[in-house]
Amino acid sequence: MSFLLTDIPRILPEILLLVLALLILGSDVFERWAADEQAALERHRASASLAALGLGMIFAITLLQSGYLYTVPDTADSNYFTNLLRNLQSGIPRGSNVPLPVMDMFATDHLTIIGRLLFTGAAFLIVLLTYDNPPLRNPGEFYSLLVLSTLGMCLMAGATELIMLFLAIELTSIPLYVLAGYFRNDRQSVEAGMKYFLYGAFSSALLLYGMSFVYGYASSTAVAADLTALPTSVITSFDTLRELIAQAGEPAPILLIGMLFMIAGIGYKIAIVPFHGWSPDVYQGAPTTMTAFISTASKAAGFFLLLRVLDTVFPNVVGNPIPVFDEFGGWTGMLALLAALTLIIANLAALPQTNAKRLLAYSGIAHAGFLLMGVIAQAAPFSTDRLNGVVALLYYLVVYAVMNIGAFGVIAIVAQDTGSDEITALNGLAQRNLGLAALFTVFVFALAGIPPLAGFFAKFYIMLAVWQANAIWLVVIALISTIPALYYYLRLLRAVFMMPPDISTPMPAPRWMMASLVVSAVLVLVLGLFPAPLLDVLEQVQVQVIAGR
Amino acid sequence: MNMLTLPPTIPILSLIWLSMVLPVALIAVVPASRATLIRVIGTGFALLSLVLSVLVFLAYDQGQSGFQFVEQLAWIPQLGIAYYLGVDGITVPLLLLNGLVIFTGALMSWNIAQRIKEYWILLLLLTAGVYGVFVALDLFLLFVFYELAVLPMYLLIGVWGSTRREYGAMKLTLFLMAGSALALIGMLAIYFGSGLRTFDIPRLAANVNFEQQYQVLFFLPLFIGFAVLAGMFPFHTWSPTGHVAAPTAVSMLHAGVLMKLGAYACLRIALWLMPHGAAEWLPAIAILTIFNVVYGATIAMVQRDAKFMIGYSSVSHMGLVMMALAAGTQIALTGAVLQMFAHGIMTALFFSVVGRMVYERTHTRQLGELGGLGRVMPFAAVMFIIAGLSGMGMPGLAGFWAEFTIFIGVWERYPLLAIIAVISIPVTAAYVLHAIYRVFYADVDSPHLHDLPPLTWQEITGALILAAVLIGVGFAPGILTDMIAAGVRPIAQQLQGVGW
Repeated sequence: MSFLLTDIPRILPEILLLVLALLILGSDVFERWAADEQAALERHRASASLAALGLGMIFAITLLQSGYLYTVPDTADSNYFTNLLRNLQSGIPRGSNVPLPVMDMFATDHLTIIGRLLFTGAAFLIVLLTYDNPPLRNPGEFYSLLVLSTLGMCLMAGATELIMLFLAIELTSIPLYVLAGYFRNDRQSVEAGMKYFLYGAFSSALLLYGMSFVYGYASSTAVAADLTALPTSVITSFDTLRELIAQAGEPAPILLIGMLFMIAGIGYKIAIVPFHGWSPDVYQGAPTTMTAFISTASKAAGFFLLLRVLDTVFPNVVGNPIPVFDEFGGWTGMLALLAALTLIIANLAALPQTNAKRLLAYSGIAHAGFLLMGVIAQAAPFSTDRLNGVVALLYYLVVYAVMNIGAFGVIAIVAQDTGSDEITALNGLAQRNLGLAALFTVFVFALAGIPPLAGFFAKFYIMLAVWQANAIWLVVIALISTIPALYYYLRLLRAVFMMPPDISTPMPAPRWMMASLVVSAVLVLVLGLFPAPLLDVLEQVQVQVIAGR
Repeated sequence: MNMLTLPPTIPILSLIWLSMVLPVALIAVVPASRATLIRVIGTGFALLSLVLSVLVFLAYDQGQSGFQFVEQLAWIPQLGIAYYLGVDGITVPLLLLNGLVIFTGALMSWNIAQRIKEYWILLLLLTAGVYGVFVALDLFLLFVFYELAVLPMYLLIGVWGSTRREYGAMKLTLFLMAGSALALIGMLAIYFGSGLRTFDIPRLAANVNFEQQYQVLFFLPLFIGFAVLAGMFPFHTWSPTGHVAAPTAVSMLHAGVLMKLGAYACLRIALWLMPHGAAEWLPAIAILTIFNVVYGATIAMVQRDAKFMIGYSSVSHMGLVMMALAAGTQIALTGAVLQMFAHGIMTALFFSVVGRMVYERTHTRQLGELGGLGRVMPFAAVMFIIAGLSGMGMPGLAGFWAEFTIFIGVWERYPLLAIIAVISIPVTAAYVLHAIYRVFYADVDSPHLHDLPPLTWQEITGALILAAVLIGVGFAPGILTDMIAAGVRPIAQQLQGVGW
């Protein structure tokens, strides 16, 4: 399928992200390059504000384009604004009416749109967090890498073809390897970058290996069915793969091995047990704001990909997470085991941590366990019901991104002031800056799943959906695992409220960092108290996922 | 029959819990240096919530059964969750109890001088949660308020507490949250088991005849999960450590009201919504509660720290409530709710005497070091004696009617357990009288008792209110019992309906 001019508005956010990345890189050249502090600060501010403005605008355009806020009715008068909006919204799905993927490889359905909003929104909050950092050596490079990575995530969310999928993952990951190791003079940061790169390369290899098995299986089916006329680029598209796999009848072991490797490859990206080993080291060593980005947006992108691959390529290997020996199996069964392992191991491993970033890394792994439960729940055959796993999963992803960015943001402010990201650095924060302590409490309680904050409703909905998928055993494990989780979250609050501060001077809270945190905190509260509007939007995704099966 | 009519347009139940959230916003913007202003705001709104609770009490129509002052709004329609409030004969007295305890607790909090802003914010949030649980008629909403009531406790005890505060705070929080995780399993089971896909409690209560096996399986986590907060043996160990570590007002609220949340949720949710499961498990639970009653009282007798003694007496008295729930008859349930009220007031009075009046001045709670306090602080002695007499079930005080009703109710169902439980009465009398003697009348010349500052008006007012309620209900229990009896009737009938 060839590229049409009318496809341009459909991939407008991606085009804009690319333009923004190049613009940031290019505009840095026109700044004053000098060795003095002032020049460095100005360069940093210029790039950061350009990135923030750009990402904010792209977020706004995507939101307008999505039609979640307002759709131009067909009967509306034609004037400049309605025409503009109508053009923007053309080619965007309405209801269950989904346009075909662009060039057979990039879907612009509701799932992609939610992904775009999530990734650009997260990137925007992260850029605000970095605005008041000490000036970077090469700010243009830093921010354009960040934006490029965001672009990669959007492509990950929309990829419907194996090659596109792989390119999207690499476009996301390679900038993140650089960003994780960005502080070249800091041993830990370099170690983080290196580790992240090695693990990432390994996981990409696993993924490619799995893809080759799946492709081989499907194309041999095509040969057997005398479909040799199909060009390679068609066979690699998810829809063709699904049909060919379905034609082959009972899935052969080679297909299952391929699927396993693909799940393992994506498993590294989303950091679930047993593919989580890299994440504590990387999270601890990377610059805190980049940790926030890696732990939220990148992980969320992995889940979007997992959801789409498993749902569209392997619907007939879905299996069952019910703990009955004969029925247990398929990818839901396997993910259920991984989710249970992830929840138990991550929550226990977090208990003895003394470094706040490392602790949050393990907490992030545990949250990935909950997210996996969402992937399992949405695969249940009766998820057309009001309660559905896709909504649960996406709601959780949005909330997780917001609360985790907030928690890491507070750590970033504290680390900037005290020079340490140990838990002891948080000592007496309540006496040094009560507002910051209150924000941190909101984020930590949200992560722990305490109502009425959004983290609770997210967990609650996932558990409802999983219960409905008959995996009650998993719900029980998840609930039990929240108790050790609460213990380590409370240890953070114990430091903040109960420990005496080392120095009693007030802790300065830079303006834009605080702005980012306040936005996150408000979102955590509002999404928790009034989840209904967001659920309505997310239900449109569910309708499509069902239709696409 | 109601003594007062409220205009139906006033959402009075929402106002009650909001009256605890609004001052949080106010206090957040007041600078921390204006200590008195913060105290006045906090106490003023506590008084407002008490007044609103009294209005509800007066306006509640006892001639009508069912829920009154109902408010219903769609909240998360996708999941069948609504903002649904209402009160019945069970919750009206409990609202009143909470109003009394938070107002007197606020009065007892005037001496908190350290990090005053955070203290009041957390205290009021906690109370908002408690009010919310009592007025919520939607399971999800109830759970949200339940957690809101439990969580601030961690910081309140950890920051402003005394003996082993960090240990006490962490232990309490983990026990209670483990309990609520268990309870959540049971709530999900009701949601899916009933097949109604709603969290609406009255609607669920009208359709309880879903799969019996399912109920039998999930009743236990539901009941035990909430019973942890009610301090049921063997999950009670958090309670004495928590009470001892907590600052006075928090002990008052905690032993006085919060433990009642657990018992209330057991009654309202576990017994009412899963009667088939209840019929299966209640005898086993009754046997556990006998440990609470007798063992709690015995342990209280050997305590040297007065607060530990009160803590274990709470375990014992809450055991009576749980035992009455396990009996599940009309009379027993009436007694259970009355005991929640009586014990709440009594314990609040105990803690305000021991934790505030005595400990804040003498800096010791060891019974052996306090002898002769009666000469120095006669008012405190009188208040302690009133609370103590109510605790040991002296006629003329609220505790008598509650315990009397419970023993009659339990006798109907488990005569043997009733006899064993009666042992707790002389044991209670023994430790209360022992404490009164050691603290107020023993002739010890203790260095702790020299030059004590006089009692403040806040302490005297608070204690007098609580004592007056104990005596008032003691002389005229009818003002509560009729209402409570009508309130528990649907639950007792529900249990009868399944052959209990």
